[in-house]
Amino acid sequence: MVSGRSLESATALITGAFGAAVVVSSLDNGIGWSSAGVDSGTFPFVVGLTILAGSVFNLVQGWLHARPVILRPSELRRLSILFFPTAVFVGVIPLIGIYPASAFYVFGALAWHKRGSLLDAALAAIGAALALYLIFELTFQISLPRGMLGTAFGF
Amino acid sequence: MENLEALMHGFDIALSGNHIFLMLIGVLLGILVGVLPGLGAPNGVSLLLPLTFGMQPVSAIILLSSMYWGALFGGSVTSILFNIPGEPSSVATTFDGYPMARDGRPTTALATAFGSAAFGALAGVVLITLSASWVAQVALAFGPPEYFAVYFLAFASFVGMGGSPPIKTLVSLAIGFALAAVGIDTVSGSVRLTMGIDELVKGVNFVVAVMGLFGIGELLIAVEDEFHVKAISSKVEWREVFRTLAGLPRYSWALLRSAAIGCWMGITPGGPTAASFMSYGIAKRLSPRRANFGKGEPEGIIAPETADHAAGTSALLPMLALGIPGSATAAVMMGGLMIWGLNPGPMLFIEQKDFVWGLIASMYLGNVVAVVLVLLTVPIFAALMRVPFFIIAPVIVIICTVGAYSVSNSYLDVMMMMGFGILGYLFKKLHYPLAPLVLAIVIGDKAEDAFRQSMLMSRGSLGIFFAKPLVTTLILLGAALLLMPVIWRTIGRMMPRTQARP
Repeated sequence: MVSGRSLESATALITGAFGAAVVVSSLDNGIGWSSAGVDSGTFPFVVGLTILAGSVFNLVQGWLHARPVILRPSELRRLSILFFPTAVFVGVIPLIGIYPASAFYVFGALAWHKRGSLLDAALAAIGAALALYLIFELTFQISLPRGMLGTAFGF
Repeated sequence: MENLEALMHGFDIALSGNHIFLMLIGVLLGILVGVLPGLGAPNGVSLLLPLTFGMQPVSAIILLSSMYWGALFGGSVTSILFNIPGEPSSVATTFDGYPMARDGRPTTALATAFGSAAFGALAGVVLITLSASWVAQVALAFGPPEYFAVYFLAFASFVGMGGSPPIKTLVSLAIGFALAAVGIDTVSGSVRLTMGIDELVKGVNFVVAVMGLFGIGELLIAVEDEFHVKAISSKVEWREVFRTLAGLPRYSWALLRSAAIGCWMGITPGGPTAASFMSYGIAKRLSPRRANFGKGEPEGIIAPETADHAAGTSALLPMLALGIPGSATAAVMMGGLMIWGLNPGPMLFIEQKDFVWGLIASMYLGNVVAVVLVLLTVPIFAALMRVPFFIIAPVIVIICTVGAYSVSNSYLDVMMMMGFGILGYLFKKLHYPLAPLVLAIVIGDKAEDAFRQSMLMSRGSLGIFFAKPLVTTLILLGAALLLMPVIWRTIGRMMPRTQARP
């Protein structure tokens, strides 16, 4: 279970951290007025400050007025069933390339939900990888990542 | 009259076989992304963008804008038949559309929605036809201070009228600006905000942000709810369609009012989502059959649908005439314009007449094509909804990943897309608006340049924004919009107190 308060605070902290990073980073470029006009750090500096101030406001507001429960356990479960495989899928692309990664991803999704036989899942997985190749690589000539595995095999 | 001539010339361009074919493809793809959860108009258009680089700009924009119309229509189909909004802007359509369909009148609900949607779109296109070149003419005289003032007004209206919590809107907007500033600064040539990652010199591409925010983020939101796709009959009875359409003029007041709200919200970038909610709310407040709202009241379908499409269409007016997109999808299209080597803004109307009027003419045709196609294909796309979510989700994730990667063949973009996905989920969940973020990424640089050029002109004095009547008016109007939430809240606080007194 996740409370509205914790989700609001977490989000405000993320945006606030980003704002702070923007402020600090913009100082390197110089802020204010110089002979060449407005320094290049000025605009990011102001924007960063806005993010920071807004985040503090949202943090306080979120803490005071948030809904008690924003994610029920069942929702959280469904969310993680989608999120973690997706994160793994994206994570393994540099290693094994997008074709095997997509095939495993589709296979895993079908096998996990136990719809149809494993053979069906395997066929769908190969079909997905093949479709990617046909649509993007062949038709539109967009080269997709092959990963370290692909490089090892000399693709 | 000059406009009419130009429009006729536009029809000449839009009515070629090639362009009609692109319209059909665009509308069908649009309905598809509109129906599928997690894919919507912004990322659908972003996905098609790389495929248009080899095309003529006018063909490319016809394809992309037709996809936009298709997506707007597709979103309504699932709202009405399944109570699942395919697009954020069709959420308000579920309130009365679904109850009507559930009570055994799905054809009436769909026909009401499409009829009023077409009316809304038509209102938007007529507005563009009549006023676009005039706006462009005025804008030709704009200097950097005027441009900055218009940008300021656009962003302020998000905060003041977007309907989301104002400070959350402000944060979303500012994050977009910061992301737009990442990379090489166009004025000084220095590198900004790369946070030590060398590859970020190329900047943050809006397509990557759109794939994450609208694609992955939307999926994560959609997966939370267990889908109970109840099969409402999706058969379309044609006689009922015509009877419903013939009965629409009875609601002409609601149609006109909603179209006006939609056009206003589309031009001042409040966007289609805010427009549909606002229109629904006003219809409910003004209608004599108020008690029927939420139970399948026709006006409850007409109001949001008309406003949604009017806003979606008229969002292209400021994009074409001023270079300021009125919605997230318009922002993506504007990104496309810049990639095709066009310069959105008033000069388009002088240098690219064929492009502008071809597009405007195609908007008339595209919406007709969309209404016909969506009615013909409702059963097919409704069947698509019965494909389980766990099969659709991986496919959409893979598509978004490829989309983000293909922008510049960079794995960093894929990682950023995931980051944007998480951010998009959190933002959606907590009612931070996403459109301002995308808009700011696309036009943040231009707004900043306009500000810095103004400062150069005035040698660093902010007084330049108060030197001429037009600039001053725009800036003051923007400031008023920014303060609107505060004003409303103060009024709200004072009202009950005055009423409480004897």
